Amino acid sequence: MVTIDKEAVELFKQKAAPVSIKVVEVKGMTEAAAYAVDVCGQKDFCELIYCGTDTTSAGVSRADKKMFCAPNLTDKEYATVAELCAAKGFDMLRTGMRGHLEGIDVAFTTADGAIAETATTIIECMSEDIRLATMIAEIHVVALKKSQIKKTSYDVEPYLQKLMEKGPAFTAFISGASRTADIERVLTLGVHGPLELHIALMEA
Amino acid sequence: MHSAETMKEYRGRLHESLDNSYLRETLDKFAVAYKANRLTIFADVNEKELIEEIAAAKDQGLTQLEELYAQFKAEAEKRGVHVHRAATAAEANELICKIAADNDCKLVIKSKSMTAEEIHVNHALEDAGCKVVETDLGEWIIQLRHEGPTHMVMPAIHLSRYQVADTFTDETKQKQDSDISKLVKVARRELRSRFANADMGISGANFAIADTGTIGICTNEGNGRLTTTLPRVHVAVAGIDKLVPNIHDALRVIRVLPRNATAQAITTYVSWMTGAAENTLNADKRKVMHVIFLDNGRTALTKDEICKSALRCVRCGACANVCPVYRLVGGHKMGYVYIGAIGLILTYFFHGRENARNLVQNCINCEACKDVCAAGIDLPGIIQEIRARLVEEEGAPVESTLLAKVLENRKLFHSLLRFGKFAQRPVTGGTPYIRHLPQIFMKGQGFRALPAIASKAFRDRWKDIAKSLPANGRLRVGLFAGCAQDFVYPEQLEAAVKVLAAGGCSVEFPMGQSCCGLPVRMMGERKAAENTAEANIRAFDPARLDYVVTLCASCASHIKNHYVELLADSPLRTEAQQFATRIKDFSSFVYDVLGLKEDAFRKSGRAVGYHASCHLCRGLGVTEQPRNLIRAAADYKEAKEEDVCCGFGGTYSMKFPEISEQILKNKLDNLEASGAATVVADCPGCVIQLRGGEEKRGNKVKVEHIAELLARQLK
Repeated sequence: MVTIDKEAVELFKQKAAPVSIKVVEVKGMTEAAAYAVDVCGQKDFCELIYCGTDTTSAGVSRADKKMFCAPNLTDKEYATVAELCAAKGFDMLRTGMRGHLEGIDVAFTTADGAIAETATTIIECMSEDIRLATMIAEIHVVALKKSQIKKTSYDVEPYLQKLMEKGPAFTAFISGASRTADIERVLTLGVHGPLELHIALMEA
Repeated sequence: MHSAETMKEYRGRLHESLDNSYLRETLDKFAVAYKANRLTIFADVNEKELIEEIAAAKDQGLTQLEELYAQFKAEAEKRGVHVHRAATAAEANELICKIAADNDCKLVIKSKSMTAEEIHVNHALEDAGCKVVETDLGEWIIQLRHEGPTHMVMPAIHLSRYQVADTFTDETKQKQDSDISKLVKVARRELRSRFANADMGISGANFAIADTGTIGICTNEGNGRLTTTLPRVHVAVAGIDKLVPNIHDALRVIRVLPRNATAQAITTYVSWMTGAAENTLNADKRKVMHVIFLDNGRTALTKDEICKSALRCVRCGACANVCPVYRLVGGHKMGYVYIGAIGLILTYFFHGRENARNLVQNCINCEACKDVCAAGIDLPGIIQEIRARLVEEEGAPVESTLLAKVLENRKLFHSLLRFGKFAQRPVTGGTPYIRHLPQIFMKGQGFRALPAIASKAFRDRWKDIAKSLPANGRLRVGLFAGCAQDFVYPEQLEAAVKVLAAGGCSVEFPMGQSCCGLPVRMMGERKAAENTAEANIRAFDPARLDYVVTLCASCASHIKNHYVELLADSPLRTEAQQFATRIKDFSSFVYDVLGLKEDAFRKSGRAVGYHASCHLCRGLGVTEQPRNLIRAAADYKEAKEEDVCCGFGGTYSMKFPEISEQILKNKLDNLEASGAATVVADCPGCVIQLRGGEEKRGNKVKVEHIAELLARQLK
């Protein structure tokens, strides 16, 4: 029986706003995927950064095609998203992120857990592709089930314990877009990683 | 980074900062904003409890570092990580250079790590033929400018967007706009290729969990994730003090660190790395991962009973954020590698006394850092201990030894003070201020008028005062005068006696009392501090009194917080405890003990402001009582930053008059802006500073001790 801590869900939403996390409520995975694809359609083309490791940015222009990646979905989930992307004409990527360090438009991932008090999503990123996708994409959209949200960081301790006891693991707490205030303490988003973080909050 | 400079050279550098108006304005704004933001972000946690838990857990951890290290090593190695221990900075650098050579690494990228700064790893790697690129935006900027960090969390806080634009223009050979979001994009573009092409990534660790062999790093930019993901090789450098037993301890650090550092509930990214994660560049598809624990004096420090709590530090930088001196001079003058109050301390322990000698003098002892420390470290206390050790190791400067000799001998001290009132005649011009002190004594002191010694000390007036006092009061109270009031401001004591008598006390004034000993402790003269403490305890014989009351917050806080520890090995240790228990500051005694409230005073319409003396609001935690008393007797006008130091700091203002002057300027500006016609404080030292400053400004605001206001308004 999956239970939802309604108080925790409200707290998550409340804490997300001040750190510029966009939260949208959706019914389930299909709607979440549709939302992510929609975000990709509406955004400007990704600014490509030449970094000498890939053929794309070295010569071939990608400026007429958007790139969407989804590194940690199940096969079934991936198939759903791939269909939506194909319809929009986006390139779709599940692995091989290292070949696209010049930039990706949207990364769509599913969360492994969440902490309400800090609007944190937890994503297990032992896979290099998940780590890179969630950093290289200009917009990161995370599908998060309401039932995954715990109130405080101490509430996720048992989950972390289980994960790390087994190891190896690379566990990410993500609580917003990549940000800096290193120049004159002016808050600026998108320094090395995503410019935006969206949470598609799923009923189930 | 400057080595082995003289105090004169150091003060020269302080002047450079004081003349840097951009730095001053930036740090001023930051100091004010930080305090407000910190208050908000701690609203939903129990701050005191959290800090106590951090302190207790860290203390416990420090007693078992060996076990934690062994456990971490075993667990991490199980998961494919190489774990090393380096006794010194040189050993750590040697290890890192060897790892670079063994893995054929040419380009090294770094995410922010104070421990890597501590060992100057960039120099070592560059000498070994590697190119090193910082990837934290602030660190990259200062690297391009060949500077050290000026803040542990915001390393480039001293620079303007225009300076950054110039630096980026030089680096990219293209004219860069000074728009901040565009500058951030320059870093995004320029550094992406470095991430992509680097062979080795160096990170620090905010914690290392023994139970699971996990290291964790907190970053906002996400450069830490890229640094530990893209290169084939990852080396994490951590102080051995970053070891914690389990995940719960790490979660606790994450609760306090971002809150205290930048007033964030959490950093954007927290990366927990348990074992060597996937890396597709290596044949076995796992990254080559090394964790190096740096000792560099830490284990020895765990055995140092007085200073070991410095190792609780989580490197949040809050001690700099609230320091009134840091706010004026910035990080390059307030640390060597580590910055702020903890920087003064760690410089002594990690980088040697040559580098620490002048720095440790530059603490005004306002305790603002102690008040916000995430780990509850008594930073000013440790700084004073280091001063004492420097005095013991190297001898004291002449003026300090002289002061110690004089203060230890009450009769000599008091004769000198009495003699002073005749000697000063040529310089006071008949006013209550010293007017024409020869230049040699007054260098830099001209920003405030210094008070003259009173014509008749309180102790010489006591016989007459005592005659008019009721004998059988409900409380037997000993009055501790402190030097400033006894010899400079006896009228403050007279006012206090009037209020105490009205509250039904029998007041006694033991003649054997002398200086509380704080000035000599501040100068590192430990023996003199012990001797003055003993003399006062003998004079008061505290067990026979209900309370000992003082009008000086600094005396009260010193007696309450330090006598017991100072006299731990003295035959008078029990009496020291009795004295500490009985000592009360004037305001809380009047308000809480005597219960003198609204109905005891005539409320005047005069606009009265308040300066919250450091050793009252922080040293003793007394905040509401004096404000309530002002409200009872006058029209209280709240000023901005009431609890920021006035810049006096006793001997500090003699040592660093240029800084004292600027702190005082901020304080008087705020008080004048509040619309107060009178300002009261709970400490004669603050009165000396504030009144002297106002005298120079033309006395727009009258300054007095709160006892004087209350005595006047008694019903």
